[in-house]
Amino acid sequence: MPAPPTLERRRSLAERRWRALAASPRPVVYVGMGSCGLAAGAGEVHERVQAYLREREVDALVVSVGCIGPCYLEPLLDVQLPGRPRLSYSNMTAELADATLDALLAGEVPKRHLLGYLGNGAGGGDGGATAGGEAAAPSATLDAPRFADHPMLAPQVRIVLRNCGIIDPEMIDHYLARGGYRALEHCLATPPEDVIETVKLAGLRGRGGAGYPTWQKWRFCRDTEADQRYLICNADEGDPGAFMNRSLIEGDPHAVLEGMLIAGYAIGASHGYVYIRAEYPLAIKRLRTAIAAMRKLGLLGERILGSDFSFDITVKEGAGAFVCGEETALIASLEGRRGMPRTRPPFPAVSGLWGEPTIIDNVETLATLAAIVNDGAEQYASRGTETSRGTKTFSLVGKVRRTGLIEVPFGTTLRRVIDDIGGGVAKDFKAVQTGGPSGGCLGEEFLDTPIDYENLAAAGSIMGSGGLIVLDRDTCIVDTARYFLSFTQDESCGKCVPCRVGTGQLVGILEAICAGKAELADLDRLERLAGVVKRSSLCGLGQTAPNPVLSALKYFRDEFVEHIVDHRCRAAVCRDLVEYRIVPGKCTGCQRCVQVCPTGAITGPRAEAHNLDPEKCIKCRSCYEICRFDAIAGDAIVIHSGAGNGD
Amino acid sequence: MATEAKRSAETPIRAEDLPRANAAVVRLQIDHHAVEVPEASTVLRAAELAGVSVPSLCSHPELSPFGGCRLCGVEIAGVRGYPLACSTPVAEGMQVTTDTVALRETRREILQLILSQHPASCLVCGEEEDCRRTLTTIRKAGVATGCRSCTNDGDCELQRVAEQVGVGEFGYPVTYRGLEPEHDEPFYDRDYNLCILCGRCVRMCAEVRGASVLAFKYRGPRTLIGPAFGTSHEQAGCEFCGACVSVCPTGALADKVSKWDGRPDGVELSTCPFCSLGCQVELAHKDGRLSAARGAHDAEINDGQLCVRGRFCLPEATQHPSRARRPMLRKGRYFRVASWDEALGEVSARLAAAAPRDILMLVSSDLTNEGLYAAQRLVRSGLGSEGIDSTAGEDLPGGPAAWSRLFALPVSIRAVAEAEAVVVAGLDTRYSFSVAGVQVRRALRRGARLVTIDARDSSLARVADSAMTVRPGEEAQALCRLLHAVRIGDELDDARTLAVVIGPRVFDCPGADQLVSELGALSAREGVTVLPLAHSANLRGALELGALRAVLPGPRPTVQPGGRRALSLAALREGRRPAVLYLVGETPFTERPDCDYLIAQDLYQPPFAVDAFLPAASFAEASGTLTNLEGRVQEQRRVEDLPPGAVHGDARPDWKIFSGLAARLGLPDLEYADDAAVRAAIRAELPGFPAEHDRAPRRMAPLPLPARAAARSPADGATRGRGRFVLIPERAGFRHRGSDLSGAVEGLGELRLEDGLRMCPDDLQRLGVAAGGAVTVRLDGHDLVTVARPDADCPRGSVYATRVEAWGGLTAPMSLDPPARLAALSRLPAQPLRVRVTAGDRTQRSGSADCRTPARARKEEHGPDR
Repeated sequence: MPAPPTLERRRSLAERRWRALAASPRPVVYVGMGSCGLAAGAGEVHERVQAYLREREVDALVVSVGCIGPCYLEPLLDVQLPGRPRLSYSNMTAELADATLDALLAGEVPKRHLLGYLGNGAGGGDGGATAGGEAAAPSATLDAPRFADHPMLAPQVRIVLRNCGIIDPEMIDHYLARGGYRALEHCLATPPEDVIETVKLAGLRGRGGAGYPTWQKWRFCRDTEADQRYLICNADEGDPGAFMNRSLIEGDPHAVLEGMLIAGYAIGASHGYVYIRAEYPLAIKRLRTAIAAMRKLGLLGERILGSDFSFDITVKEGAGAFVCGEETALIASLEGRRGMPRTRPPFPAVSGLWGEPTIIDNVETLATLAAIVNDGAEQYASRGTETSRGTKTFSLVGKVRRTGLIEVPFGTTLRRVIDDIGGGVAKDFKAVQTGGPSGGCLGEEFLDTPIDYENLAAAGSIMGSGGLIVLDRDTCIVDTARYFLSFTQDESCGKCVPCRVGTGQLVGILEAICAGKAELADLDRLERLAGVVKRSSLCGLGQTAPNPVLSALKYFRDEFVEHIVDHRCRAAVCRDLVEYRIVPGKCTGCQRCVQVCPTGAITGPRAEAHNLDPEKCIKCRSCYEICRFDAIAGDAIVIHSGAGNGD
Repeated sequence: MATEAKRSAETPIRAEDLPRANAAVVRLQIDHHAVEVPEASTVLRAAELAGVSVPSLCSHPELSPFGGCRLCGVEIAGVRGYPLACSTPVAEGMQVTTDTVALRETRREILQLILSQHPASCLVCGEEEDCRRTLTTIRKAGVATGCRSCTNDGDCELQRVAEQVGVGEFGYPVTYRGLEPEHDEPFYDRDYNLCILCGRCVRMCAEVRGASVLAFKYRGPRTLIGPAFGTSHEQAGCEFCGACVSVCPTGALADKVSKWDGRPDGVELSTCPFCSLGCQVELAHKDGRLSAARGAHDAEINDGQLCVRGRFCLPEATQHPSRARRPMLRKGRYFRVASWDEALGEVSARLAAAAPRDILMLVSSDLTNEGLYAAQRLVRSGLGSEGIDSTAGEDLPGGPAAWSRLFALPVSIRAVAEAEAVVVAGLDTRYSFSVAGVQVRRALRRGARLVTIDARDSSLARVADSAMTVRPGEEAQALCRLLHAVRIGDELDDARTLAVVIGPRVFDCPGADQLVSELGALSAREGVTVLPLAHSANLRGALELGALRAVLPGPRPTVQPGGRRALSLAALREGRRPAVLYLVGETPFTERPDCDYLIAQDLYQPPFAVDAFLPAASFAEASGTLTNLEGRVQEQRRVEDLPPGAVHGDARPDWKIFSGLAARLGLPDLEYADDAAVRAAIRAELPGFPAEHDRAPRRMAPLPLPARAAARSPADGATRGRGRFVLIPERAGFRHRGSDLSGAVEGLGELRLEDGLRMCPDDLQRLGVAAGGAVTVRLDGHDLVTVARPDADCPRGSVYATRVEAWGGLTAPMSLDPPARLAALSRLPAQPLRVRVTAGDRTQRSGSADCRTPARARKEEHGPDR
């Protein structure tokens, strides 16, 4: 079915403008204004750049874009001068921006903080997977690498994140110019069954964590007799350390919304909700802007693009309860009730929101749909492993050198993600926690495991929504398990006994271990109770809550035993098991630690090695920090753990 | 297979389990027992029917599955993990195992987790057996943490499940949560430390009652249950129906009155004596005293539900310390205790001495059928007088004939829940007729349409599809118009079944007689049910047994229409003076009415001097029957069994007092050996009236309309009087016989539901009445001065007052010194009246107890009343 002339006209206009932007006769400055950029100070940079251009009376265009991935490099500033490619600069500050712009406008290419050049429309590691303009050829004189060859970007395959950091997320034209809503047009011209078939062929599985085949869920819903069906986009991302969905919505809201239209059409829904946590104000704002723009173009409302399909989308803010990411709790919350899961059956696909068949899809699942339709299911399915097709986004955080938002095909090994993309770990890799508080800690032996749903589950962890937290030798595995358990305990809705009381008892045992007050029998008790909570909890939150403990016990049991038997925390994290010592030979007697010690535990005259009275020491870590960074000697104070003489 | 699941001795078969005509049956196996259950049953229900008990704490037959306690996990062949019996629907050929080593282990672990947050040291104590007898270890356990100091000890589901599952070696530290128990609510206490968060109370409140007062608060380990946002139950809209208390598996929720009674000695099925619905109650008794009442699972009427009166007011109403339990006689200046012989002798002598036309007996329609029949028989055949009347007779402009026409309509409480459309007029079911409200909500859940008509905001108006707000006093006319529209097919024409629920206030409104005619015409249609609600528990019995003015048993109209000459309540109010006034459970006065000799027969003494007092037995002390508005003759059972004596007194059933008088008057025909003998006499006179209790509903043969009935209400329903406010006199709801329940029942007194006048807060503000301030209501000649309470449900320009037909010998919470100025209340007409209202006490021109500021007082003195 041909799109009504308005959209077609608008698209060609958008494409013209998009090309014009690449070949702009004016300088174009792009500032990464995702939450990661803003947190690093992009707001200031953005203001400074505008002030700079005003002051120098430079006629330039400033474009805000989303997160392109390497969050550790934020704030990112791209400058595109007429006839030159777009150059990326990292770790900007207001002063640096001034200097960089000065140099660039003077015709130089400053090397400091330069990441490389970026063709308009060519994302890092684009790989040709998305449509769009090709990179302008770098001029021969330009001595800069391609940003896409940056070690963090090169191994990635960006399908879901195809537009993030490239386009202005508040401009529907940018999205249209990059092939936006073509997939929707295509779908509306085919029967809904064929759309489901395409998704089946692509092998798409739910990206929220459980990995249930998306097409199967849709089919259940479509096959249920009902006057009304609903689609919900689950954007209640709550895992500590996970920000895939936030960055995606902030960087490319239309990809998610187009996915919702496609899914809504496939299941026969007439209304969609985006359930998004209120802690994501920028993402909410971008969604609302995008929805308003869609409405203007007739992409929402009655008879979309002249078809028989009518659909509307409401953004609903959640109040920040982790459990509301669980389907039935989310529905309860959406209906205005307390976010509390209920027993299944009936499944939401049969009886969900207001008792009608409801499909709840993760942000990433939905954002993938347009790419599947545009590129073809076979093309999408050609990536990944036998059981897990396509790509997956991860938020790579923790003790790796390069942190950020990444997208790789399934089947990529953890080692490639951590060492190649993440740049490795500075202080001995210890473990990687996948799937946030519902996942597990996987040690070195899993580094060569290809990432897919089955492999992670077999290892005792889960895929989850895509959080990867890398731990090094300074991280105590017992403390990490305790942290995740106390998180799930606090976030338990309180409905079922194993989750409400069981997680509390697990935390109690872990705290005893951290405090050196446990006995070996407690490990069996821990394991048994974790098994009970896992087996008998009502919803996914409780059923997966013991995973961090169980996996830690499985792969790092010796550390638990060390805590219990030797009263030793090898990472020197568990406060009750450590002791602060001054290394006599290293201390220069600079007195900095004497000044910061709140209890007067450190004494000694200037220029002589100081004494630390363990009786008075409250292990506040102040002396350790000051010695490491401010004192003359450095490293003269060590945190020691264990009954022996230490290392 | 070793089985820890015991076969329960009694498995009640519920209505929904009975095979229906078109319900498919599913066959499955539970622990190798084949069982057939209706489809859509749960595995738990199927297990129950198979006689297999699966431990569970959060499931409840009346409530939706919750899945919180996780104890009822079972194994089902071909299904992964341990699906919950309580929420898994049965399927054909399913093979369920409820007891395996793994299940037992998991249940034990979960139970230990529950007990780690519940004071349960007794359950794991090795000396439990000894301690049960001698409390040897109570000191060790600590008073707060043992079962022996719990109100529910011995009647606790957690104890039972602990016994069934076995606690085993306890591996977790036990924490006492140390939360302060709440004792501030009027009828029940809440101890969070005993709460296991099973959510039954929350679901009961939301799903069955439709009140949604209770909610889960906070989350994770801090989760609590209670009204949200820290409000009190009253603020949150609690009906105080106690359904939450009844389903609580532990001692977390407990009745204030009976919590320390322990396990009852027995439970008797009886009928609630407080309104005409006739709810079935289970009366638990302990040591010969009524302990607590709970709703009986009677599918026809209340299905386990009650209102605040039925649930919480019965024990205190019969056991209040100010109950008068001994006959008293006035001798000169003294009013003193007399023997029954002496008292009956004196009263019978006075009755014999008076001329029949100078005798008036006022008899309450709260009495049993036996009491009512014996009363009218004593007056009519024994004393040859027509002087019998009841305040209930004043309720309808059309008189008894109109009521008989209402009871001739199809009246069914259960049909309300099954109706496709429900019309509710002039009714708030929060505290009164809550069971009718529950049935209306049940209909709503089944998809019925609800239309309400009221001048006030009400609990049902808030959930109605269409809530019509009319001016105060116009409810009857509005309902009449709506029903007419329904009859001619303009409204609700798609509903095949219709229920019309009418609050007592509506019958006092102008146009009530036309309403009765309209109801008659409408109910000629198939599928129409009418519920004319009346506060008097036995109004229908009074009508059928002739315990009203100008009605003979049957009912038949009096043969001689010379009623005008006979004494009546109306004649008394017009100033006629009886020689003997005999008050049987009636006190429609605030001061002693003018008569030669005044007899009171009641549970409590009236608040004015009487010449003889005869203590009547309460609903718990005597057996009898009550007729509900559907015509069911239902049994009231005696549960109080205390030895007569100085402490317990010697109250007698009403019929027995009348029988004693008859013996002394030389009327052997009117003597009865027991209540069955009275019923035999009734049957002899009225062959159509059920002899023994008979719960079949009956439709009444209507009395002919008196010719002048239609003229009694003003044309076109214009409200009489002058003034900016409309005074709506309401029949008192919280009365039993002649007594004010708010005085006897402490919790009801705390709620202060009927004291003072209720007015719109905006009006009070405009009048300048401070909280708790007095207002003066100008009636013809009698000014009424009392406290005005703000009530947000009242519309502007309205004054709701409770008519005084009962001022029993208890504290009168309405009294504002001096009580004489309340006298106008007993003179209030039944119909709404236009009045003028001013702030403060206008009768007291120079009163120092005036709540007005001097400036405002001056302004009011000089400014005209607008």
